[in-house]
Amino acid sequence: MANAMNENRGEPDKTLTFTKQPYIVDVGPRKIKDVKFSMFSGEDVLKLGEVQVSRSQSYVSQEDKRPVDNGVLDAHMGPTNKLGTCETCHGDFHSCPGHFGYLPLVLPVYNVGYMSHVVDILKCICKFCSRILLVETERVNFLKRIRNPNLDHLRKTGIYKQVVKRCTAMASSKKVVICSRCHYVNGTVKKAVGTVGVIHDRSKVQNTTSNEFNDTIYLKGSNTPAKLSPSVGPDKALKLFKKMLDEDCELLYLADRPEKLIISIIPVPPICIRPSVPVAGGAMSNENDITLRLAEIIRANASVREALSGASVHNKSLGVLWDNLQLSVAQYVNSDVRVADSSQQNGKRITGLVQRQKGKQGRIRKNLSGKRVEYTGRTVISPDPNLKITEVGVPIKVAMTLSYPERVSDHNIERLKRAIRNGTYVYPGATHLRKKDGSIMSLRFNARKRLAEELKLGDIVNRHLKDGDVVLFNRQPSLHRMSMMSHRAKIKHWNTFSFNESVCNPYNADFDGDETNIHVPQTEEARTEALMLMGPIELWTGKQLFSVLLRPYADMRVYLNLSVTEKSYTKPSGERVKPYETMCPNDGYIYIRNSELLSGQLGKATLGNGNKDGLYSVLLRDYHSLAAAVCMNRLAKLSARWIGDHGFSIGIDDVQPGDNLNHNTNRIISQGNKKCDNFILDFNKGNLKCQPGCNAAQTLEAQITGVLNKIRDETGKVCMEKLHWRNSPLIMSQCGSKGSPINISQMIACVGQQSVGGQRAPNGFIDRSLPHFPTNSKTPAAKGFVANSFYSGLTATEFFFHTMGGREGLVDTAVKTAETGYMSRRLVKGMEDLFVCYDDTVRDSNAIIIQFTYGSDGRDPSQMEGKSGFPLNFDRLLNKVKATCPAGQHRGMSPTEICEMVDERLSMHDMSTEGGCSEDFRRKLKEFLEKKAATLEFTRRVLNGEESLTLENVAQSICGITSQQLKVFLEVCISRYHNKKIDPGTNVGAIGAQSIGEPGTQMTLKTFHFAGVASMNVTLGVPRINEILNATKKIRTPVITAKLTCNDSIPFARLVKGKMERTLLGQVAKSIKLVMGLRSASIIISLDTETIGALHLSCINAKTVKESILKTPRIKLKDKHIRVLDDRRLEVNNPSTYDRNKLLFDLQMLINKLPSVIVMGVGTIERAVINKKKERDKFNLLVEGTGLQAVMGTEGVNGLETTSNHILEVEETLGIEAARRSIIKEIQYTMESHGMSIDIRHMMLLADLMTYKGEVLGVNRFGIQKMKESVLMLASFETTADLLFNAAVKGQVDKIEGVSECIIMGIPIQTGTGTIKLKQRDAQIEKMCKGLELILSE
Amino acid sequence: MVETLFEDIFRVDQLDPDGKKFDKVNRIEARSDQFDMYMQLDVNTDVYPMHVGEKFMMVLATTLNLDGTPDSGFFSPGGRKSLADKFDYVMHGKLYRINEEGSGANVKADIYVSFGGLLMLLRGDPSIAAKFELDQRLFILMRKVDKA
Repeated sequence: MANAMNENRGEPDKTLTFTKQPYIVDVGPRKIKDVKFSMFSGEDVLKLGEVQVSRSQSYVSQEDKRPVDNGVLDAHMGPTNKLGTCETCHGDFHSCPGHFGYLPLVLPVYNVGYMSHVVDILKCICKFCSRILLVETERVNFLKRIRNPNLDHLRKTGIYKQVVKRCTAMASSKKVVICSRCHYVNGTVKKAVGTVGVIHDRSKVQNTTSNEFNDTIYLKGSNTPAKLSPSVGPDKALKLFKKMLDEDCELLYLADRPEKLIISIIPVPPICIRPSVPVAGGAMSNENDITLRLAEIIRANASVREALSGASVHNKSLGVLWDNLQLSVAQYVNSDVRVADSSQQNGKRITGLVQRQKGKQGRIRKNLSGKRVEYTGRTVISPDPNLKITEVGVPIKVAMTLSYPERVSDHNIERLKRAIRNGTYVYPGATHLRKKDGSIMSLRFNARKRLAEELKLGDIVNRHLKDGDVVLFNRQPSLHRMSMMSHRAKIKHWNTFSFNESVCNPYNADFDGDETNIHVPQTEEARTEALMLMGPIELWTGKQLFSVLLRPYADMRVYLNLSVTEKSYTKPSGERVKPYETMCPNDGYIYIRNSELLSGQLGKATLGNGNKDGLYSVLLRDYHSLAAAVCMNRLAKLSARWIGDHGFSIGIDDVQPGDNLNHNTNRIISQGNKKCDNFILDFNKGNLKCQPGCNAAQTLEAQITGVLNKIRDETGKVCMEKLHWRNSPLIMSQCGSKGSPINISQMIACVGQQSVGGQRAPNGFIDRSLPHFPTNSKTPAAKGFVANSFYSGLTATEFFFHTMGGREGLVDTAVKTAETGYMSRRLVKGMEDLFVCYDDTVRDSNAIIIQFTYGSDGRDPSQMEGKSGFPLNFDRLLNKVKATCPAGQHRGMSPTEICEMVDERLSMHDMSTEGGCSEDFRRKLKEFLEKKAATLEFTRRVLNGEESLTLENVAQSICGITSQQLKVFLEVCISRYHNKKIDPGTNVGAIGAQSIGEPGTQMTLKTFHFAGVASMNVTLGVPRINEILNATKKIRTPVITAKLTCNDSIPFARLVKGKMERTLLGQVAKSIKLVMGLRSASIIISLDTETIGALHLSCINAKTVKESILKTPRIKLKDKHIRVLDDRRLEVNNPSTYDRNKLLFDLQMLINKLPSVIVMGVGTIERAVINKKKERDKFNLLVEGTGLQAVMGTEGVNGLETTSNHILEVEETLGIEAARRSIIKEIQYTMESHGMSIDIRHMMLLADLMTYKGEVLGVNRFGIQKMKESVLMLASFETTADLLFNAAVKGQVDKIEGVSECIIMGIPIQTGTGTIKLKQRDAQIEKMCKGLELILSE
Repeated sequence: MVETLFEDIFRVDQLDPDGKKFDKVNRIEARSDQFDMYMQLDVNTDVYPMHVGEKFMMVLATTLNLDGTPDSGFFSPGGRKSLADKFDYVMHGKLYRINEEGSGANVKADIYVSFGGLLMLLRGDPSIAAKFELDQRLFILMRKVDKA
């Protein structure tokens, strides 16, 4: 039994009374240091138990509801109901903590939890003398290794497994081991199937070695030794275990004596954990499952006793009864134990002890890891634009239930007196009053007036929530940290929580009945922490009139500078080379200079979140979180009021297409149809040109799909152009609030192609999708193309196809949530305890280093401004500096001056690696300014042919920079860079896990994607992320990207491709014929030189073919059997056999096998595709399949730049560092192809976690068990029971350090703000003297 | 007479070179006679219609005061005489960018001004750009000139 023992618990006092309150020893503060797991022996149980339980009845009788003495509900184990008292401690129902009983078994039985350990031990010891089976030298060697004090649990387990393996291997060939000490012949040991037991199979002993060992003691005198019972009963195992030497136990990594693995006395748990619930007015009672199980055991035990004493009333043999007892004990522990006999009741399942612990509803996950808390509320939410972003409206009803303990001071005494007078039921009142002496008074009925009068400074009043109180607001699912933020309470009427609609996004909330939770922090420390760490604004990343919104009065010193391109921004097309920038005809380029909006219409890119250069992000970075919040509030209010006045709605007329639009869509659709018809015609004639790596049918599908998808895009484009600008859906789409051109087009013009599983609608009938179409029809309409719009209405077949696509979407979302949820859980469990230490390293709770510097530069990912996780956006910053400190009369610097100044500044201490600056940042800053200097030089040269002062000035005003500006710029850059350092203690692990898990929920489940080439599909989306996280051995679509040494010629690429691809003999042979002569028969292979030439495989000739045949496994041909006749012909003779009858068959078999001999290429490769990237026509090869090493070794491949997307293979071929890089790259690629970008630091941390042990570990139960040591943490993840049993056997110690363990034990977590502790220096340090003075000091 | 920064007569070459995008505003492309300047300008054609082929005089000035005192930045009503009296269409805005275009002998300077979101691009000889500064407040004054 896994037994948690508090090592530091003091000696119990004599005056101890039993209460449910935790017992606190008064010798100074104590805390749980660690938890040790161990097993109970029979004696331990006897010592612990207060009463022997031997009767299966619960109560005396129906009428008399007293518990039976020595029954399962004996009063010594605690009172059964409120009326009873405990007979051990005489406490009542509330004060008695419960006591154990004991139940001695007549015969010992196995404990199912330890079954695997018992089998393993029995495998390793001699079944006669109990010594280990290993030879002495080996034994000493293993013992030496396992005694190494530096070994951790994992390595010890590893050695133990080696021992078990060695011992079983000794028996391998003959299934027999002879003990080197007593010469007893041991058979093989197996777990019994169907029952709980062990089988010692010695049947082979007699067959093979009985003659030799007839004189062994055991077999002497026995004529029929084969009759020996194969099963090893618990009694025999117990006997063997008792005889085992301690040294051998050590070898088997047993922390304790092995006889404890077998149960002889069962501890009976206290009644309070298995309550008896009276029903039907007390006439009956519902007993807990554990009680029922115990009663069953008692009955089985009694019948065994009867059988032993010979007074059995049953005719059953002792063996059957014993088995019965064994079974009932096994099911008491684990009710999932499989039972052979089918007479089991198939009604309600009775749970066992294991079932109580494991799973989501089990003790560990439901009660220990998830704690219930006070001071919380939950209700429906509604929006309120009049609240500030930081506020949340709390209904009075809630505010009167929740309270905050406020200490009375001079400043608040009047208010608190009033609150006390108001009492519990009047707002603003108070619920409780806690006096200085510790007495607590309810303010419900007590003499409140008197209490108010007597209120003294220092008392604590639990007052109602009031405006401005800090509360934590949370909406489930809490996918990332923004799902729980701190707000200020604002007490309001009605019954719902309300908040500003701008904060919907982080919570992912809407108002269709969503409910949220609210928590009230109860101490000032907690409030401050919540405010500092969890404010909503901190985490937000959202023309003339607008300038007013930005900077409403002149004194406000907010000078905003930014430039953003909105969605409507048009890129130059045709002959125009220079980008439009501000002169964009759609007015889509936002330029704000010194808080003045100069050009552009603001839209989602500027105002929305998620854009690092967006208006609110810039405000937040350049100024203050408050500035951003205030601005956001101003805009939100303006918009809400304007839209309230103006109105905005969508009607049927918005989706009515005009004649022009109708005409255009019809034209586009008919054109597309015509194109498809042409393709089909070509296909039917066989004229269709195949795409690389596709057959004709696939090419046709790809072509048609391409055309049809284009139709949808084109109609969308037409809609965007032709619709009136006041069209409501168009406005919504253009400003980015909701909807895309495709959505508009679907409503107005054309719904488009429906797809199921990434393909056009599949055939539900024979050779056709629906019976409305001719067979084998490939036309758009027959394969799910919907030409109508939602407005014009769908035809019957179109509608059916649409439902097919719709169903897939629904199924997808349903499956997705479960899958991504589990993924998030695994990630969090794997990364929960990683945090940044004060030395900048990232460590786990055991202080094992995961990263030396977080994200290799130690910056905080949430504060990054630049692209792809770079700390700063130099361009924007330089523009800002230039705008805010105008050049004025200062002269601009010359390019050389600029470079000098930059070099000088960059050589200072805070720009060195020791000063906390990454090499990368320094280099990028330098490069940026050098580039600026170069442009200035260029401009000057262009303008300044004749060295005139005016033109010099023009050049300066174009791109010059004054020394002051440069100085400010450098200082701003450097100080900001240093400000972005990640705070020590940050839980980067949890944040990283959420940052990767949360976007996962947004990904569509099954997506395939072209990797540059048609027909080359790569798994993406959640399945791909899962593959990476699990470190799957067999991934769905392994692709090797191979660079070529000569990357600009197609023939060369074809040559390499030919070498790599698997070529079978059957493909290059003209014929493989059986030639029968008069005296001999042989196979003649003749090669087809034409085909070989066409495949660019000129290096294949008879000789190479011969070699490949010889190399092929399972064709047992020797060198002499194959004769090379000439360059293209071989003769294969029959192998070995001279049996004339078998000759023909052998040759036939060879003929069947020979065509599949690989004559060229790598066997593991499916195919290779030549990929041509558009830019500059460079070729590379995409290779489908595994075999990275072989591909890298192929001639013509640049091995240095060849990678695979198979992480385990990369690890195998290139090493662990390459695997780490590959994990980062693959996650990034997958996320990017779904249009999501995650800061690279999160992925780096994940990759480091997966690789820091030196091998790639998956983020699943197998990998995590190798990463972490803590039993409690692992048990709270998966396979709870196994881990606990194992921990007890191995005597593992769990230091309470990690996040999960601390939560389970209710101890503050040692990361985040819990990393630091305040230590007070005590003036007078007295030596603690307890009892006798220690003579020996440590 | 007040000193202006730039004065020239332009001829409208094209309306909305990239297609009509807005109801009340058109972008005109124009070329000047005197300095051979190229200009793109957003004009509120709802109040001041423009057509291809029309000629107009365009003036850029920092102040509307006839005596040349700097602009106060405030609107002061009252029938005071100002530069604007002689013109049909006046806008006030800010110069936000100067850039160079092309290279070698035919290098041009671009001046960008935003009149409350209506933009102007003025492209011409770099020497003209020397008179302008970044962040300068400018008035644009326009008057149609007879074709004669």
